[in-house]
Amino acid sequence: MTLWDATLAALLLLVSGDRELWGIVGVSLSVTLRAMLVATPLGIAAGYLLATVAFPGRRLLIVLTQGLLASPTVVVGLILYLLLSRQGVFGELQLLFTQTAMIIGQVLIALPVLIAFSLSAIQGADPRARETAQALGASAPRIAWTLLLEVRFALMAAVCSAFGRIVSEIGCALMVGGNIAGVTRNMPTAIALETSKGDFAQGIALGIVLLLVALGINSAFAFFQGEARR
Amino acid sequence: MSLLTVRALVRSLGQRRLLAIDELCLSAGESCVLTGANGSGKSTLLRILAGIDAPDAGTGCFDGRPFGWSPYPDWLRKQVTYVHQQPYVFHSSVIDNVAYGLRARGVPRAERARRVEEALSWARLHHLLDSPPARLSGGEKQRLALARAWVLRPRLLLLDEPTASLDADSRRQTIELLRTFADAGTTAIIACHDRDVIELPAMRRLDLVDGRIITD
Repeated sequence: MTLWDATLAALLLLVSGDRELWGIVGVSLSVTLRAMLVATPLGIAAGYLLATVAFPGRRLLIVLTQGLLASPTVVVGLILYLLLSRQGVFGELQLLFTQTAMIIGQVLIALPVLIAFSLSAIQGADPRARETAQALGASAPRIAWTLLLEVRFALMAAVCSAFGRIVSEIGCALMVGGNIAGVTRNMPTAIALETSKGDFAQGIALGIVLLLVALGINSAFAFFQGEARR
Repeated sequence: MSLLTVRALVRSLGQRRLLAIDELCLSAGESCVLTGANGSGKSTLLRILAGIDAPDAGTGCFDGRPFGWSPYPDWLRKQVTYVHQQPYVFHSSVIDNVAYGLRARGVPRAERARRVEEALSWARLHHLLDSPPARLSGGEKQRLALARAWVLRPRLLLLDEPTASLDADSRRQTIELLRTFADAGTTAIIACHDRDVIELPAMRRLDLVDGRIITD
């Protein structure tokens, strides 16, 4: 099969609504969205605390978070695999090769991105925003909420960036998800598998979907970054 | 009766003493203009009184009730309002900006709407309701910040150079608003060099030199 034939077959798979292919897309988006639902509030709250509260070890935590931005996802997968495997600390939970394990892995990968970007957004906010909220009698939670609203576009950019990182990662998903058809097979793991089997059509079709998702996310990221600078 | 009394107020930055005030008493309804060269401690004093910065030492008493500076008490934060030299406006709407302090105080919706409406008329901001606050001119932002303070009816109002860097028309409008604050009996400290503000009726004058009050 030539590349042209494979691409045509891929487009046919996409428009024909192939159940297996769209099932894989569904698993991918469902796992990533649930991971983001968990990671986003945690990451933004941690970023806010790091940006605004002085405590011993704060500097070390910031350096650690920034260091973890570039952590290889396969290493995150390896650590999680060891923790969740039968002999691991959390082995009794029997989470290995489940979507829950994939979500935990994606949360761990997304958190440094969300924390580092939120920290940077909040530190970059105009100091008068906090002072004005204080001077108008706002309580500490209201001040925090006000500040987050003031940097909302930068925070949305953080969310897009984290989403982009986890939706396309393969290392952790493969190790703790196991690439089980219909359960934990997502777009990146399916592309790797189908390509190794020589089924280029499905690989290309999933590649197109993943590319469109990444393009959409990056467009949103650029939009929010532009709004944040205004 | 004194509304605010502060004693032995000291604030330093490294070896440099920014503020060293033996005593400052302010009666209820009194308006003060705070003058002094750049770096004399005007903003430092206002920011401390507003609870934004804490002094190194000093005692405070508001309406007969002693208070500490760190943490600055919530009950006092509800009585005092501070306006920056270049006011910050929240990236929401003009109405949300004016209503902000009322929301923070849990004022019911109907009363909030009535008071916001009244403050918008007071500051002549109605024609700007649809404008994004960040796009307002310097004078409009200043009026918005004054409306945001006016709507709260603070017992103590602290203004940092309210007419600095405004054009003539905005300056005139701002001075008019300051006059109505004074007429309403608001106790105020205004850091200012503007002669028209200094010469507002019944304005007490405090001169700061190197962080000390030298004329009162």
